[in-house]
Amino acid sequence: MLLMLYTFFENIQIIKEVMKEKFLYKKIGIPKALSYYNNYPFYYGFFNSLGLEVVLSDKTTTKTINDGTKYVVSDTCLPIKVYVGHVINLLDKGCEVIFIPSLQSTDYKINNCSKIRGLPEIIRNVINRPFTMIEPTLDKTEGVGLNDFCIETARLLGVKDRKVIKKAVDKGWEIYNSFMKMTQSGVDYSEALENAIKGKFARKTVDIVKPLSVAIMAHGYNLYDERISLNLIKKLEKMDVKVYASVSKEKSLEALKQLGEVQYWANELELTGTAAYYLLNKKVDGIIALSAFGCGPDSLMVDEISYHCKEHGMPLIHLTIDEHTGEAGFITRIEAFIDMLLRRKRNLIVKKSDSVKSFKANVIDIKKEKVLTGSAK
Amino acid sequence: MKNNKMGNKFAAKERIIAWPRMGRIDIPLKALVLALGAKVVIPPANSNEALEIGVRNSIEGICLPYKLNLANYIMALEKGANTLMMFQAPGSCRLGNYTKMAQKTLNQMGYNFDMVIFDMYKSKMLQTLQAFWHVTHCINPWCYYRGFSLGFNKLFAIDTAEKLLFYTRPRELNKGEAEKCYNKWLEIVDNTNSIRGAKRLKKQIIADFKTIPIDKNKKVPKVYLIGEFFVLLDPYTNQNIEKELGEMGVEVQRQIMFSDWLEHVLKPSLFYHKESHRERSVRYAKEYMKRAIGGECIETIGDTVYAAKHGIDGIIHISPFSCMPEIVAQNILPKVSKNENIPVLSLVLDEQTGKAGYITRIEAFIDLIKRRQMDYLN
Ligand code: SF4
Ligand code: SF4
Repeated sequence: MLLMLYTFFENIQIIKEVMKEKFLYKKIGIPKALSYYNNYPFYYGFFNSLGLEVVLSDKTTTKTINDGTKYVVSDTCLPIKVYVGHVINLLDKGCEVIFIPSLQSTDYKINNCSKIRGLPEIIRNVINRPFTMIEPTLDKTEGVGLNDFCIETARLLGVKDRKVIKKAVDKGWEIYNSFMKMTQSGVDYSEALENAIKGKFARKTVDIVKPLSVAIMAHGYNLYDERISLNLIKKLEKMDVKVYASVSKEKSLEALKQLGEVQYWANELELTGTAAYYLLNKKVDGIIALSAFGCGPDSLMVDEISYHCKEHGMPLIHLTIDEHTGEAGFITRIEAFIDMLLRRKRNLIVKKSDSVKSFKANVIDIKKEKVLTGSAK
Repeated sequence: MKNNKMGNKFAAKERIIAWPRMGRIDIPLKALVLALGAKVVIPPANSNEALEIGVRNSIEGICLPYKLNLANYIMALEKGANTLMMFQAPGSCRLGNYTKMAQKTLNQMGYNFDMVIFDMYKSKMLQTLQAFWHVTHCINPWCYYRGFSLGFNKLFAIDTAEKLLFYTRPRELNKGEAEKCYNKWLEIVDNTNSIRGAKRLKKQIIADFKTIPIDKNKKVPKVYLIGEFFVLLDPYTNQNIEKELGEMGVEVQRQIMFSDWLEHVLKPSLFYHKESHRERSVRYAKEYMKRAIGGECIETIGDTVYAAKHGIDGIIHISPFSCMPEIVAQNILPKVSKNENIPVLSLVLDEQTGKAGYITRIEAFIDLIKRRQMDYLN
C-alpha cells in the first residue's frame, strides 16, 4: 500500500516536471537563413501567438560562413553552410530550442531540393552539441499539409489545444499576407518585414522612373542575405537601376504556363516565376540570375529560362557565388552587364527614332507625288 | 489514355524502342519488349565517346547520369530508334526534370522521336502496364505474361550471377575465371527465349559457379558498395570498381540490386510481404535520419548502419559530382562511421576523375581495413 502511494506521488512528480518542461520553452530560435527569408512573417505570427519569444540569429557575416563551412563537406552549397553557421550562432547565444523545419514538398510531387528537405538530418548529424530541435515536416505529396505542419510544430512545443493552434495559424497568415502585399507592391524587403511584424502597412513611395530596370531571379535566401548576395540590390540601385525581384505565386504560375513550362521544384518557382513574368511583360531591360555555386536545381532552371530569353531577345547574366567570391570581380561583372544594357537600350531608341523619321519622310513623299499628279491633271 | 506526357508521333508498328543504359537492365527489358512485339535498339555501352557526346550537348551544372543518358539517346537515335523510354525513379530527384530537358535538347538537335515516361514513383503496376501498352499496342495477355516472366526471370538470373561473381572473384584460384563464367552466362541469359529455359537459368548459374575452384579458407575483407543508383550500376562511370576491388581480394556487396528495386516498384503492395530494401534502410537509418529526402540518401545511411551491425569491414560510398542527396549523405556519414565504428570512404566521380588517384585512394582504404582486421584478431 505504502509502495503504491509512493509510486503514485513519484508519478505526480514526474508529470509535474514534464509540465514544467513543456512550459520551459519560452524562446524559440530561428536561424536567419533559408526558409526564414520566405516565411519569417508567418513563423513570427505563429510563434508569437503561441506565447513564445522568437530569437533570431545575427546577420550573416564572413564568420558565420566560416563557422558553417567547418562543419559540412566542401561540396555543400553556400546557403547550407550559412544555415549551419546561423545555428551555431544561436547556440552560442544560449538559445537551446531551434526551429529547423523539413520542407519536403509544397504541392503534389512539387519537391524541394534534397538539402532543404534534409535540413534537420544535416544539422542533427554535423553539430555535436546538445539542443532541442523542433523539426516538423511539410510534405504535400504525402498529404501532410500546412495545417498538419503547424499542428506538429505546436505539439513539439507542448501545445495541443486545436483552438490555440488555429488562432496562431491565422495570426501567421495575417502577418504573412500583409508582408506579401507590401513586397509585391514594390516596398523594400526589409522595410516590409519590419512593418509587417509591427502590424503596420507601408505604401510604396512614389515610383521613380529610372533609365534602366532589371529583374533578379534568385532565391530569397540568396538575394536578401546581404552577405551572400554581396548587397546586389543596393549596388544596382546605386548604379541607377530599378530592381524587380518578387512576383505573386499566381502570376508566376500563369507566366510559366504561357512559356509552356511547368513547375517542377518547389523552391525554384521564385526564380522561374519572376523571370518568366518580367520576360513576358517586357517591363525590364535585362535579367540577372544569381545562384550559389554547385546548386543543383538552379543550374537547370537558369538554363531553362535562358533558353526562353534567347527566343525573346532578352539579355540574361548568370552570376554564381560561393564563399570565396570577391567583391571586386563581382562588381566588374555587374557593371559590364549594365553597360551593355545601356548601350543596347540607346541603340534601340536611336533605331526607333530613325524609323519614325523615315516613316515621316515616306508620308511627305507620297504627298508630293499626290500633289504632282494632281497638278498634272 | 489521357496522359499527355506520352508522344504519339509514331504508330505502334513503326516503333523502334530504346532506353538509357543502366547496368544490365537492357537484357531483361529487351526480352520483355520483344515479347510484346516491338523492335528495340540497344545503345552502345558507355565510353569516353558517349561521355563526350553527353557533355557537348548538356549544360555544365547537370549531373553525370544525365549526360550519359542523353548520349545513350543520341546514339540510339542515330542507330534508328524513334521511341525513347525514360524511367523516373522512386527517389524523384533531378531525374524528373531530365526527361523534359532531354526532350528539348533532342528536339533542338533535329531528331524526330516519341518519349514515353515510366514514372515509378510509388508502385503503380497499372500505369506501367499502360505505358507498355502505349509503346507496343500489344493486347495479347499471353504476350504480357511471357514478356514479364521472361524479363523477371532474366533479371533474377543476372542478379544471382552478379552476387556469385562478387563472392567468387576474390577467392578464385585461377584469376579471371569467375569473370569469364559471368560473361558467358550473361550471353546465355540474353539468348534464352523460352519461359522454361529462363526459369531454369538461376539454378544452372549457381551450379556452374560452384565448379570454379576457390580458396574457401581465405580471409576476405567484405566491403559494401553504396551510393547513387546510376553510378553504382554503371561500370564505366564507377571505373569498374567492383572488378578492381575483387582483384584486390575484397568481397564486394552491393545493396542496390536491380531486381529488388523493380520488384518493389512493380509488385502491388498487397502481394509484397518481404521487407523491401528501402523499408529496411528506413528502419536502420532511424537514429540518424527521420525522413527520406529524395535520391538514395536514406539507403546510403541505412545500409551503412546495417553493414556495421552485420560484420562488414568497410563502406565505399560513390556518388556523382554535385549530387544533392549524396552530399547530404556525405555530411551524415562521418557521424555514422564514428558511432557505428565502421570505416567509410566517400568517392565523388566526375568527368575528370583520374583512374590512378582513384585506385590509390581505394587501395589505401583497403589497407586500412586489413590493418583494422589484424588489430581486431590480435
Ligand atoms: S536549392 Fe540550391 S542553393 Fe538551395 S539548398 Fe538546394 S542546392 Fe543549395
Ligand atoms: S540523385 Fe544525384 S545524380 Fe541522381 S538525379 Fe539526383 S542529383 Fe543527379
